Amino acid sequence: MEIRSDKRGAVTVVSIEGSIDGTTAADLVAALRGQVTAGNVHLVADMAGVDYTSSAGLRALLETVKEARQHGGDLRLAAVRREVLRVLELSGFTSILQVYPDVDSASASYPASA
Amino acid sequence: MSTPPGTKGRRVALVIGAGSVKCAAALGLLKVLDREGIAIDMVVGCSGGSLYAAFIGLGVGATQAEEMTRRLWTRELTKRRHYPSLLRAMLPQLFPFQESFGLVDDRLILQRLQTAFGDHTFEEARIPLFLTATDFHSGEQKVFSSGRLVDAIRASIAIPYVFRPWSIDGRLYVDGFLTDPMPVGVAIKHGADVIVTLGFESPYQRKSTSVLRFAFQLSSIMSNNLLRANYAFHNLAHHTEILPIIPQFRESIHLFDTDKIPYVIEEGERAAEQQLPYLRRLLAASER
Repeated sequence: MEIRSDKRGAVTVVSIEGSIDGTTAADLVAALRGQVTAGNVHLVADMAGVDYTSSAGLRALLETVKEARQHGGDLRLAAVRREVLRVLELSGFTSILQVYPDVDSASASYPASA
Repeated sequence: MSTPPGTKGRRVALVIGAGSVKCAAALGLLKVLDREGIAIDMVVGCSGGSLYAAFIGLGVGATQAEEMTRRLWTRELTKRRHYPSLLRAMLPQLFPFQESFGLVDDRLILQRLQTAFGDHTFEEARIPLFLTATDFHSGEQKVFSSGRLVDAIRASIAIPYVFRPWSIDGRLYVDGFLTDPMPVGVAIKHGADVIVTLGFESPYQRKSTSVLRFAFQLSSIMSNNLLRANYAFHNLAHHTEILPIIPQFRESIHLFDTDKIPYVIEEGERAAEQQLPYLRRLLAASER
């Protein structure tokens, strides 16, 4: 899995490539937690490159969402592939996470003063 | 089943959720696991999934299981009404209502289950086998792991309003989907580390044109929400790896579309292929 981050004003876009699963989830949590610790709490996960998420991946996303929200921010998902979206829907994650069609709309969903 | 013995390291469970004829997708998944030499350490089935879990548990190959399903699961199963139930529902003052209520005469399904599984028992399964039903009086999940397979399957597929609840040892059981349409919790409880699960959401009716369709629609709404709630809980509450295999059917599959079984199997195989790289990596990591 590859993780890249890009600061766009107050929003940090984290682009993820590969699968989020038991073998990669710890790396993702560490990367996202690093952003929150550094004060970058308005996060957008660009999921266009994510082809799969298992239960470990779901736990990683939830952990980060909780942490970002506790610090006044959020983790919002963008460009989620259909097969990954099915897993998010099946697990009820779409009712607690904000999902946007692309990175631009996810970034724009944060208030300008964020 | 032709898979080689135990995958070193992690215990792999296969969970086949409720989904009537769509559960045949398990045979496609089985083909992929077989080909890759990935052994299953336990199998769990619910409702329609109980048939395939039992086939796999007994070591019936995919081709034979497909043939057996075609003979077992046909439209004739629901042709004959269970008139005593109808009379008890419509004229309760004349014919007192009984809990053993189902609109369809269940003698044919029972006869076919008997033909398919005979007097085989759980104890004869080559890998640990668990089938789920729901206790009608307590509402609790019942996990069968011993005794006659026919009884457990008949209990597991006791579709509300359609087939009568099934009595085993003095307890009355209804369909397993009423407690958990995709019972991954059973596999977690029995020590699975990696759970490969097939799950299906119940289809919604475009229009409810009969009392039974109306009841099915309500049932689908409840079971789909139950599926999501249980699945979310198991994903978040445990550290077991759960790999959902969700076949995407371009064609709509109805309760008795057995002619579509080859297509269903194909989609199961395709969905399994998609998750294969991850499953391989996960199992390889656990062997290091």
